[in-house]
Amino acid sequence: MTTHAVRTVIGGVGYRNLRDHSLGIVMSDELEALAQPPAFLVEDLCYGPVAVAQWFLDEARDVAPITRAVFITAIAREDGRPPGTISAYRWDHALPSDDEIQRCVVDAVTGVIFLDNTLIVVEWMGALPPETIVIEVEPLEHAFGDEMSRAVAGAYPEVRRLALHFATDDAAARALAVRPFGGGWSALASLQAAL
Amino acid sequence: MCFKNLPIDFDAQGKAFLKDGAANPYSTAVASPPPGVPKQLDHDKVLELVKRNGHIKDVDYDPVTRVAGALAFHTVTDVKERKVIEARSVATLFRGYEVIMIGRDPRDAIHITSRACGVCGGVHSTCSALAIEMAIGCQPPPLGVLVRNLALSLEFLYDNPLHLHLLAGPDYSEVIVKGTNPGMIERAKVTEAAHVNVHGFRTMHDLMVDLNPLTGSLYLEALHMTRVAREAYVLICGKYPHPQTIVPGGMSSTIDLTVMNEMYVRLSQFFDYGKKIAGIWEDLTNFFYACDPEYKKVGARRANMIDTGIFDLPDAYDTTYKNANEWGNKRWATPGAIVDGKLVTTDLHTINMGLEEFVEHSYYDEWTGSGQQQHFPTDPSGNPLSPYHPWNKVTKPKPGAQSWKEKYTWDTAPRWDHYGMEAGCYARLWNTAVARKMPDNPFIEATGHSLKIRLPRGKLPETEIEWHVPDVWNAFERNRARAYCVGWSAMIAMNNWMAAMERLKDGDTKTSTKFEIPKRGEQMGVGFWGAGRGYLTHHLVLDRGAVSNYQIVTPSTWNASPTDKWGQPGPYEEAVMNTPLLEESTDPEKFRGIDILRAIRSFDPCMPCTTHIQSEAGMITREVNTCACGLDD
Repeated sequence: MTTHAVRTVIGGVGYRNLRDHSLGIVMSDELEALAQPPAFLVEDLCYGPVAVAQWFLDEARDVAPITRAVFITAIAREDGRPPGTISAYRWDHALPSDDEIQRCVVDAVTGVIFLDNTLIVVEWMGALPPETIVIEVEPLEHAFGDEMSRAVAGAYPEVRRLALHFATDDAAARALAVRPFGGGWSALASLQAAL
Repeated sequence: MCFKNLPIDFDAQGKAFLKDGAANPYSTAVASPPPGVPKQLDHDKVLELVKRNGHIKDVDYDPVTRVAGALAFHTVTDVKERKVIEARSVATLFRGYEVIMIGRDPRDAIHITSRACGVCGGVHSTCSALAIEMAIGCQPPPLGVLVRNLALSLEFLYDNPLHLHLLAGPDYSEVIVKGTNPGMIERAKVTEAAHVNVHGFRTMHDLMVDLNPLTGSLYLEALHMTRVAREAYVLICGKYPHPQTIVPGGMSSTIDLTVMNEMYVRLSQFFDYGKKIAGIWEDLTNFFYACDPEYKKVGARRANMIDTGIFDLPDAYDTTYKNANEWGNKRWATPGAIVDGKLVTTDLHTINMGLEEFVEHSYYDEWTGSGQQQHFPTDPSGNPLSPYHPWNKVTKPKPGAQSWKEKYTWDTAPRWDHYGMEAGCYARLWNTAVARKMPDNPFIEATGHSLKIRLPRGKLPETEIEWHVPDVWNAFERNRARAYCVGWSAMIAMNNWMAAMERLKDGDTKTSTKFEIPKRGEQMGVGFWGAGRGYLTHHLVLDRGAVSNYQIVTPSTWNASPTDKWGQPGPYEEAVMNTPLLEESTDPEKFRGIDILRAIRSFDPCMPCTTHIQSEAGMITREVNTCACGLDD
């Protein structure tokens, strides 16, 4: 195993051909060309959360632990934020109750893929990097198709810029507020401060 | 002959024909329910009982947790008599694949229907490919058939352990049983486990502790083994859960000796795991029976099962419907319909012609109304078909308010010869054990009453495990049989791996056959295949190159089915109605409904579901999520 003090991954979470919910996978496809392994990786993490955890554990075993992960996704929070709203935050690593974790594991092994589930399962399996940054966008279109809504497509360039920014700028990454899922509206203020 | 209720008989040559004398032979108005079938109480009577008796309560599970997908379950429970008097299974989502498929290129079906399930996407893809290749007449090369068999067995090596130790296993864990039946925990501490030499747990208590969710070693080991199975699958199919390598006429993946050897490294890990998991569920089942023989009634129902058989023999499989009885009977898992524990047929034509789907209590409109012509009065071999058969079915969704008397689920009510049949991997064991038609091989032997499975040496010595056709059929026997399916699937994979290696050594690397979709005329096909949870069919009709009808019947379509128009409950419903409530606590505040949940989960439900338990203390709401292939369409 070689030693790497800092290893970062940008990972997309979502589904292909599910309009706005394809944001993460479209972006990880695009950014893959910029990867500089082993220090800077770009990964499609749109698969079973148990397997995502196993990927992090394999990297730690075979190369070195990933120290920062930047997850990109579109996820409906239904908290009133308009479609296209970007929230960026460091996830607080807070796990729910055991019953809820169990539910997440069941979802994970039976094919459900969405950000919260992925982070909970990966964290429960002890595989999530200490710095876990989420950049999420409120989606509008949930149907089958390869075209994002105007709101999410409009947010795409900024999400891309933020992903690269937080993946490569230690100070900016650490200035992000630590938040629960969704980041809340205050995360926006935090984002402004970090920028 | 084998049909007791449908108006079908067979001539001296075994050719099926409609019995004379009935103007409308498939009329459900004149048909009577099969004898010996329990009937749901009339809901008005149930309401009256609830009104008159304080000890009779609605107990609703919405969602049912630790199942794949969305399932809700309504019961009316007599807490004094500790029994269930009404049970209603509710599939809460409309899936719509049949509607989505209309007008499409049939090749789309392989990729679209795969999305019916997050666990068994590959089996839907393959079932779809089988239906297409039957319709267009495209025969895969032998290696393509063998790789399909390998892929399917690897899917089961993911699916069955997942169910046993992540979904159902916690129901028998120390942490759950301590809450529902604390007396059993004390007994478990002093009960030695018979198969300690195989699984390593000295007492039943040790074993039950390691079934605990999130922390138990068996729970964590199952998570690991799902990875091993997936890795093996991906080596030969490229990706999971929605492989892109499944095509009509075979597989598009490149298979060579290196790939096969890498796959074998993973497969061989299931030799020991198959021994261990069978020992665990032997010990669990026998322990519960010893604690209270009433456990034999949990999830009990008549042994009525159906399966189409799986794992083709390359020399026999020719894709044609005409020869389906012949190639079906040469499958590694024999097709079969079992009624009251007796195998009544192994012929795919008979299995197919006995199939009907009803929507009396489902959110669909009937499609057999006056003025509508039955599209296919017979199958391609001239056997009679019901207007309720999938090839004649038209999916007509009709959402509405939930009513136990009217419509309450998105699942349909499939029936075979009017019987509510159960689907499961155990149906394959049963058919294969009794029929004794499986190919000769060094690892598996069907005895007529059991299956002997010889598992090679790993860290554990070479071991023969034997699954016996049980005397009773219940939740415990479903899980016990499922546990044997792990070793069984591994050794079917081993047989097919050896056959594939021989072909590769001989230089035979062809895995697919070129095909064209005909642009003229009408063709029909059916995929007879199976998921880890059992029976799977895709019925397909092509018209000038496009899909004009597509009907999917999954294992959970059978198992989660609602009560039919004759009052015959679906399998979950029947199993729950027969379940005694053996929880020790009589305090409604502490009532967890564990026996009802054991009954439901023993079927390995696969449908995004939701269940609540409502007792005097209020409603307990749990989310249940698994894959979603139980829902119709």
